[in-house]
Amino acid sequence: MEAQGSSAKAEERWQGLGVSDGFATGQVLRIHTGARSVYRATLTKEESEEEINRFREAVEETRKRLLEIRERAGREIGAEQAYIFDAHLLMLEDRSLVGAAENYIRQEGTNAEWAVRVVTDRLLIAYAQIKDDYLRERSSDVEDVTRRLLTTLGGERSLKQGLTEDSVIVAEELLPSSIAELDFARVRALISDAGGWTSHAAIIARGLGIPAIVGVRDLHRRSRTGDSIAVDAKKGEVVLHPLTVTLNEFKAKEPHRVFSNVAVEAGATEAKPARTLDGVEIALRANVELRAEYEGVRRYGAQGIGLYRSEFLWSLHNGIPSEDEQTEAYAEVVRLAGGDGATIRLFDLGGDKAGLPEAEVERNPALGLRAIRFCLQHEEVLRRQIRACLRAAATEKSVPLKIVLPMVSDITDVRRARRIIAEECERLKIAETKCGEIKTGAMIEVPSAVFTAHALAREVDFFSLGTNDLVQYILAVDRGNDNVAAWFRTLHPAVLRSIDYTLTAARVHSIPVVVCGEMASSPAYAFVLVGLGARDLSMTPSAIPRVRHMIANIDAESARRIAEECLRCDTADDAEELIRQRLSEGWPHLFSPESLPTPKSADKI
Amino acid sequence: MCERCVVIPNRLGLHARAAAQLVRTANLYTSDVRIERLDGSAAADAKSLLSVLMLAAARGTQLRVRAEGEDAEQAIKHVCEVIAAGFGEE
Repeated sequence: MEAQGSSAKAEERWQGLGVSDGFATGQVLRIHTGARSVYRATLTKEESEEEINRFREAVEETRKRLLEIRERAGREIGAEQAYIFDAHLLMLEDRSLVGAAENYIRQEGTNAEWAVRVVTDRLLIAYAQIKDDYLRERSSDVEDVTRRLLTTLGGERSLKQGLTEDSVIVAEELLPSSIAELDFARVRALISDAGGWTSHAAIIARGLGIPAIVGVRDLHRRSRTGDSIAVDAKKGEVVLHPLTVTLNEFKAKEPHRVFSNVAVEAGATEAKPARTLDGVEIALRANVELRAEYEGVRRYGAQGIGLYRSEFLWSLHNGIPSEDEQTEAYAEVVRLAGGDGATIRLFDLGGDKAGLPEAEVERNPALGLRAIRFCLQHEEVLRRQIRACLRAAATEKSVPLKIVLPMVSDITDVRRARRIIAEECERLKIAETKCGEIKTGAMIEVPSAVFTAHALAREVDFFSLGTNDLVQYILAVDRGNDNVAAWFRTLHPAVLRSIDYTLTAARVHSIPVVVCGEMASSPAYAFVLVGLGARDLSMTPSAIPRVRHMIANIDAESARRIAEECLRCDTADDAEELIRQRLSEGWPHLFSPESLPTPKSADKI
Repeated sequence: MCERCVVIPNRLGLHARAAAQLVRTANLYTSDVRIERLDGSAAADAKSLLSVLMLAAARGTQLRVRAEGEDAEQAIKHVCEVIAAGFGEE
């Protein structure tokens, strides 16, 4: 391992606008997407005819490349995002761009590059007059197409080469087509000198969960490929040539990064439970959504899929996915999961996201018609999804398939859903369609579900504890709202007691519980979960190695004692302080100070 | 020459994705299709994406769709339907 922080270069800090949250550390990979200087050449009449041919070939080449990009984006990011490349293709066929450029070459006798630049600049000047922000930003699409065309004319290939496992892309401007070309599994973060919140690049980055910062002026010019870099997109902070201490501070916060002392070989890791020093087995599963994440399931040795977020299919298909489309998608998840099984969460969305015509703008969507409420209200949507799950379950008999009902707040939700499941199962059998068996569970993520956990446990096959929403609903804190960030406390005693109560109820009624919130992916929080009795954790695949490493080096008995102390705390501050002390004293090699809750005095309120 | 008036109903207006849908629709017909802002400030060739984007039509913008050719009536009907449906958006 190279001593990254000890380079002679001084640490430089930059501020930009974070458009997709997250932390990352890695190496700079500079890409050229910005305006390149274009020279003007004067051609003879014969030469300009040849030049037009060269231009047409470049247009055709660019078109092919865009078709590939669109196909890949549609598959991996979603139809909504892929649509932008449809627009790019149309621009490439547009008379006012291509036709005008050809005319310019012919009339002015210039090279193709110059003609493209002149024609585009005219268009961009016209776009600059547009008053509407959102529509004006579309000029970046024109630039994207132009640059791609100029790149092709210059004989350059795409930027697939040069990506390392920890690339942080630094560009003058992030163009949608450049992003869609990247191998998402390898990109840690995206940074650009220009750009805005509504740029397609920002939307795609958010869709992929890759941290992104825009408006970091001059970074592209000052950085070099291979430079060490650290990123905190939530604060919009970028550190070039970070000191070792800074680097460690960022690494500790970074969820997608494995601690350097955990070896992760490329290729597959055997899927097996983690085992504590005193022999307690903890299952580690994967949360997945995008196809781009599938690779991580085998690579990091996940025991199947603990949470599949099916609502992603709506954006992939630009609306409600058909029964066949769903069946195919779930069957793929089943195959990917293997013998350890898969859990599909029914559509966790509200009318706003579903884009149904009758969807009213709700005053408070988090407390509105969403998740299982939405599914029950739109029964045909629910029935269709259930049929798809039953059919997918029949494709691989050896793979157990479970479905989990999101945001259950009353046992009636479960009863209504189960009745529909039974009816659809009957209907499929009558129609002689192959129909597998599925187990049904409840997401425990709202207070009313916690307090009725014992009764719920008698009526479902399992629980899924969604800690992100649970913290939000128990503490009445919107985690997207910076003004109340100080009140979002994962270790709040009310949260810990809710988790404890839920785990106990499940134990009493002998049903399994999988904890599938972000909490499970942080070693310090995962320690607390194990202490509270959680034996089944599901997380973003890349987090599995570090959680496995933590578990292999602790004993469940100590974790239990510390968690019990936590439960007796009166405040979140007390609980955080307790965890900080116990973990840093007991296992300093496992929990660096930065990976633990921040001391109160240095942060917040 | 046929024509019909229509209002942009979706929140984001005639942005790239929506415009692409409109242009694809117009290109299904042989007739020339043009779109003008009712306030007369801009006009566009409905078969050119760059031209349509230049209309900068936000939500609520009133447009007139005109077409000339053999299938002018069908073209107008179809284009107006796509716009009135808000391009499948909210």
